Amino acid sequence: MRIKVNRDSCTGCRLCLQICAIEHFNEINPKKAALRIEAKFPDPGKYRPFVCTQCSKCAEICPEDAIHQNEIGAYIVDKEKCTNCGECVAVCPVRVVFQHPDLDYVIICNFCMKCTEVCNTAAIVEWEKMPTDKAREA
Amino acid sequence: MVIFLKAGSELRCRLKPDIDYYTRRVETEAGKSIKEILDDIGVNPALVAFVYTEGKLKGLDYIPSDGQSITLQPPVSGG
Amino acid sequence: MDNGLAGMALRINLTTCEIKRMPTDEKLFRHWHGGRGLVAKILYDEVPRNADPLGPENIFILSTGIMSGCYIPAGSKVEFGSVSPLTNGHGDSNMGGHIGPMLKFAGYDMIIFTGISPKPVYLYIDNDTVELRDASKYWGMGSLDCERQLKKDLGEDFEIATIGPAGENGVLFSCITHDFGRQAGRTGQGTVMGSKKLKAIAVRGNHSIRVHDLSSLKKQVTAIILRTKKHPNMEPWQKYGTAFFIKWSNDNAVLPVHNFQTTYYEDVDKIDGDQLVEQCLITHKACFGCWMNCGKYTKAVIPGKPVVHLEGPEYETGALCGSNLGMKDINHVAYINWMLDNLGMDSMSSGGVIAFAMECFERGLITEKDLEGHTLKWGSVDDVEHFLDMVAHRRGIGDWFADGSKRAAKKIGHGSEKFAMQVKGQEMSGYDGRWAPGMLLSYMTADIGAHHNRSWTITVDLAEGRESVEGRAKIVVYLQHIRPLFDTWCICRLFWGEVDVTLEEIVESLNNITGWGVTVDEVLRTSEMIWNLTRCHYVERNRDNGRAFDYPPARSWEDKIPSGPGKGKGVTKEQVEQMLDEYYAARGWDKNGNPTREILEDLGLSFAADNLDKIGYLGEPIPGGIPPIRGEKYKPKAF
Repeated sequence: MRIKVNRDSCTGCRLCLQICAIEHFNEINPKKAALRIEAKFPDPGKYRPFVCTQCSKCAEICPEDAIHQNEIGAYIVDKEKCTNCGECVAVCPVRVVFQHPDLDYVIICNFCMKCTEVCNTAAIVEWEKMPTDKAREA
Repeated sequence: MVIFLKAGSELRCRLKPDIDYYTRRVETEAGKSIKEILDDIGVNPALVAFVYTEGKLKGLDYIPSDGQSITLQPPVSGG
Repeated sequence: MDNGLAGMALRINLTTCEIKRMPTDEKLFRHWHGGRGLVAKILYDEVPRNADPLGPENIFILSTGIMSGCYIPAGSKVEFGSVSPLTNGHGDSNMGGHIGPMLKFAGYDMIIFTGISPKPVYLYIDNDTVELRDASKYWGMGSLDCERQLKKDLGEDFEIATIGPAGENGVLFSCITHDFGRQAGRTGQGTVMGSKKLKAIAVRGNHSIRVHDLSSLKKQVTAIILRTKKHPNMEPWQKYGTAFFIKWSNDNAVLPVHNFQTTYYEDVDKIDGDQLVEQCLITHKACFGCWMNCGKYTKAVIPGKPVVHLEGPEYETGALCGSNLGMKDINHVAYINWMLDNLGMDSMSSGGVIAFAMECFERGLITEKDLEGHTLKWGSVDDVEHFLDMVAHRRGIGDWFADGSKRAAKKIGHGSEKFAMQVKGQEMSGYDGRWAPGMLLSYMTADIGAHHNRSWTITVDLAEGRESVEGRAKIVVYLQHIRPLFDTWCICRLFWGEVDVTLEEIVESLNNITGWGVTVDEVLRTSEMIWNLTRCHYVERNRDNGRAFDYPPARSWEDKIPSGPGKGKGVTKEQVEQMLDEYYAARGWDKNGNPTREILEDLGLSFAADNLDKIGYLGEPIPGGIPPIRGEKYKPKAF
């Protein structure tokens, strides 16, 4: 299970951030979402969503072995083991591992796909397999 | 021939949908413009800003084809 | 708080730099619903009736609404309010984008500024850190440039609202700009902000907003998202925004052309939505939580001028700075839009003021000598550029026009008041009301001057008869209750207006957020209460019968439309008087346009009745009493 980003379609509405936090924390708070939107204004005047690419760098660097990939490909944080040290935050190449003062563990996308359900412009869509997955499996 | 007109909000009330909440099936003659078709079914064309079909905006002088689905876009005030 | 409120409010005395934090007054929000309602109450209570709107006694308020930020369709807005220097009455203006929700995520429902800072400052909010910081580095910068710089200096995730040089120089129709293209444009809120030497507000926050019943809200709103995704009008909205209605306005003879001289523009094809999308569009742009993404981010390319980026032009700017100025190139309209955004001037009032000045030039009432050797001809983007520079910096005759068309006309004289297209000092929106009498009445009776967002009736006028006025007043009253509700709750009304999200559904969301259990009738009454309070405020400040301020300029009835489909059409003075008589009767006001004790007490505003009575402007009792229900919902006749 993956998320494909069609970056030219993003309008910056942040519905994805809202539903993510509601889904996982039962709170309205875009800063508790597991993805981010970058805005580049005034020039070129574009938005770009950044979502987890399942590159595994967070799991590899975790000193507590607290992050593991599950059966659908998502990297799941063991909240008991995580010490919130932030190594995974720093190593993530797309900067989509998040910390929040309310929490003592990091936030990583679990690919529940709720964000793709609410996105009205297909800027983030559900995607079965990326070519790199197929190459890795071969 | 048959076309399907769709509309929302106030315009929808005037359209009197019969297929679903938004859609009315209209029998008409080939070669008629949207404006003429609206006149025929008693919807004031002045209340339609433009029509939207197959991903494009068209004016009320657009001539639809058989089976085509046409959204009527009402005017709105910005802010 | 589990009711959609962030929990804290700020009172900032700019004279002493004192920042007071206090818990949000929940009772106040419950009674006035926040946003515009709260602004109305605080201004009424706290600003002395003879206070100079640009002086220290005026209060400048940011109020988020109860629903802003709360996973509600387009819950994106923030309200700015102060006594308007343009109209000398209650003034409020709302703005989309992201700063309203961000303020709530930082923990604040409302900020009230009093006094005047001794030097330029900006307000810095990062969750619990609230500081007034030195803004001398930013003072003088264009709004868009300042936002860019502040994001660079503070962090990209700050939301910024700024004024431009126009606000700093006291141009009376200055706006506040945010998110590189959203404005709180009307009533001169940017002017008041500038008079207080407040250059910008920068906010960042990561708290959560708690609501009464998140589970029901999530279920309800997610269902609305999925349903409206399939609404037939959603896709055209997302792709084209509001600029496309310029052609419709032209075909139906309501488009302002050459300072509302006529209503049909031969060159409309050069400035309409098709041109915008074909020539200028970069991306679709949405406010917080909105999937209609009506915003169109564009660039303007004119040989010999720098390429500029902007959001727009949307309908109003496209009309008022397009056909109204005789522009014949969408890039020129976009460039003017960009100039106004960066200078920090309301594009609607500016379109009206520039057009007024152009007509003065056409008639020889102002000359090249007044304009530093430049002309001010219809259709010249270069002339507009130079004129705007004079106005924004109050240079030479620009000083007259910087006060708006009403005051400029007084100075220019020679009967120019007739074609200063404003009511109560605020310039008209992009619709000519001569062949749309309900629209004209809407301009005449809006609390903030000639603005369409309180009531927009053109389709009603088209359906019910463009030359009759009977029955129009009750519909205007109803719309004046329902539309400002969105400014009170700080959500965008497009979902209600365009894709069939009903008022009942929105009230259901309100109850899911707040737990108040209110009904549609109750919220309409709250809106009526706010409307009457702002009317009382206006009469008290301006010390005359309300009716004295409710007339449009004489062009509205003296000049019939000279060309196009509306040729020869236009209301008469008698019809103008008749509409006012019907309107006041529908409102429970007397024939002088003053609220009566009976209506004010019915709405819980007896304190306002007492105040009007003290100054001799309480409305005379109406024989037979006030109507039991004020306003009537328009029901389109099925054919």
